[in-house]
Amino acid sequence: MTATLATAPEQPVERLPVPPRPRRTAGLAGAAVLVLVLVGVHVWAWIATDFSIGALVEGWSGITDFLGDAIPPDLDWAEVVQPGLKACGVTLAIGLMGTTLSIPTSLVLAVLGARPTSRNPVAYQVARAVMSFFRAVPDIVFALIFVTAVGLGPFAGVLAIICHNTGIMAKLWSESMEEIETGPIDALRIAGASSPQLAAHVVLPSVVPQLVGLLLYRFDVNVRSSLVLGLVGAGGIGFLINQSISLFAFDQMLTYILMVLVLVVVVDVASGYVRRRLAE
Amino acid sequence: MSAPALTPVARPVAAAEVLSIRGLRKTYAERTVLEGVDLGVAAGELVALLGANGSGKSTVLKCVVGLAQADGGTVSIAGADERPGAAMVFQQIHLVRRRSVLDNVCAGALGRLSLRRSWSTSAFPRALREESMACLDRVGLADRAHDRAGRLSGGQQQRVAIARALCQRAPVLLADEPVSALDPEAAEQVMELLRRLADDGIAVAAVLHQPDLARRHADRLVGLQQGRIVFSGSPEEIAEDEVRALYTTGGAR
Repeated sequence: MTATLATAPEQPVERLPVPPRPRRTAGLAGAAVLVLVLVGVHVWAWIATDFSIGALVEGWSGITDFLGDAIPPDLDWAEVVQPGLKACGVTLAIGLMGTTLSIPTSLVLAVLGARPTSRNPVAYQVARAVMSFFRAVPDIVFALIFVTAVGLGPFAGVLAIICHNTGIMAKLWSESMEEIETGPIDALRIAGASSPQLAAHVVLPSVVPQLVGLLLYRFDVNVRSSLVLGLVGAGGIGFLINQSISLFAFDQMLTYILMVLVLVVVVDVASGYVRRRLAE
Repeated sequence: MSAPALTPVARPVAAAEVLSIRGLRKTYAERTVLEGVDLGVAAGELVALLGANGSGKSTVLKCVVGLAQADGGTVSIAGADERPGAAMVFQQIHLVRRRSVLDNVCAGALGRLSLRRSWSTSAFPRALREESMACLDRVGLADRAHDRAGRLSGGQQQRVAIARALCQRAPVLLADEPVSALDPEAAEQVMELLRRLADDGIAVAAVLHQPDLARRHADRLVGLQQGRIVFSGSPEEIAEDEVRALYTTGGAR
């Protein structure tokens, strides 16, 4: 064999005219109407929210005064930093307890509210309705309710997160259960398997990585919302932020906000890392 | 195999039918898919269903196991009044890929287990695990019991699916294009396995798109065209032209 390669004869490049795309006047008119409607909705929203750039410009000095008071942040160890770290721990603990304790309720609702595992239409609809309710009521409303029941403090925050997170996580989990391929379910239904058996032996084993990924994502979100719950008295770093604002101690507030920033980034990076490892 | 038979004994075909289908009709919306299909499969018989896409082959199997509801006709399986009488394997195999091979096979028995013995794989009775191992041994994969099902090759996965079907203890095994997604070597193995199971006394009906495989392994070829059976006979009785005509004349609609 000689090492020379034969050069392939150059192929003539053929071209064909592109046929004109069929014009759809109805489509164009529809698009125009859609654009008009969208513009109209935004004009209404602008008015409804008193959106005013002028007000922002006028109020700018207030913000600069505020920032001037806040900088430099108060880094007093015993007075500010140490209580702040402790409160960060409480915030993290609220998010953790709220997320973990909503696993059983979410799982039951998700199994009952996913088509492949729920053959009983009544159970399915009830589960869906319960999910929608807990999802629709914001966690801060739950927190206000529980503060009146169990008093100010982190426990009310945990209860609030359990309630709201159950609604959301059950919904997310049931959706991933509905996305699995139905073939293995058919195969075992032929073998006489019941819906609970299908849940245990086909659906759950197939979606475990997705469920854990969503769980970590919710933990991430719940830690952040437990901050907001602190503002209404559920303890943690949010409570300290609220307190420092009402005492006009903006330099302390800035310290707490920086701590929150670090906390949120750490939780975000950690849960993102675990989720990526799971996806592999 | 090594039996020193002095006189050749014909395989006892047309013994008592285990699966009998009479006058099966099925319509999807406006389209008639099955127009009165009669089909019987005896214990120990391997029947190959041939036909173009849309001829109704798969629909016959689906009506037997209840994945589709027939509009008319009867399906009866001897000795299976309450328990599901037919097991089925699919072209897409349909194992739970994240579970072990053994757990997949055990799942074939779910229909006869109470929830207390089946809420998790750890609750499966020991006897079931041992039975599943025996099923795996029959398909030649006992050494892969603890591997994840998704790690096996396509042909091996199809054999696991067959082991799962065996664990169902059904007298009838249906196979919907069991080898269409497999390479020739794996397809041959799966067909040999189905042949062996038929010889062991199971009634096997397989939808096939490979007339040559059907000829070599099946006892009987059944041709479907536009929802009707157009021929039924042993591979010797059915001419090549008759099979070819299934795919060329008339077409699916």
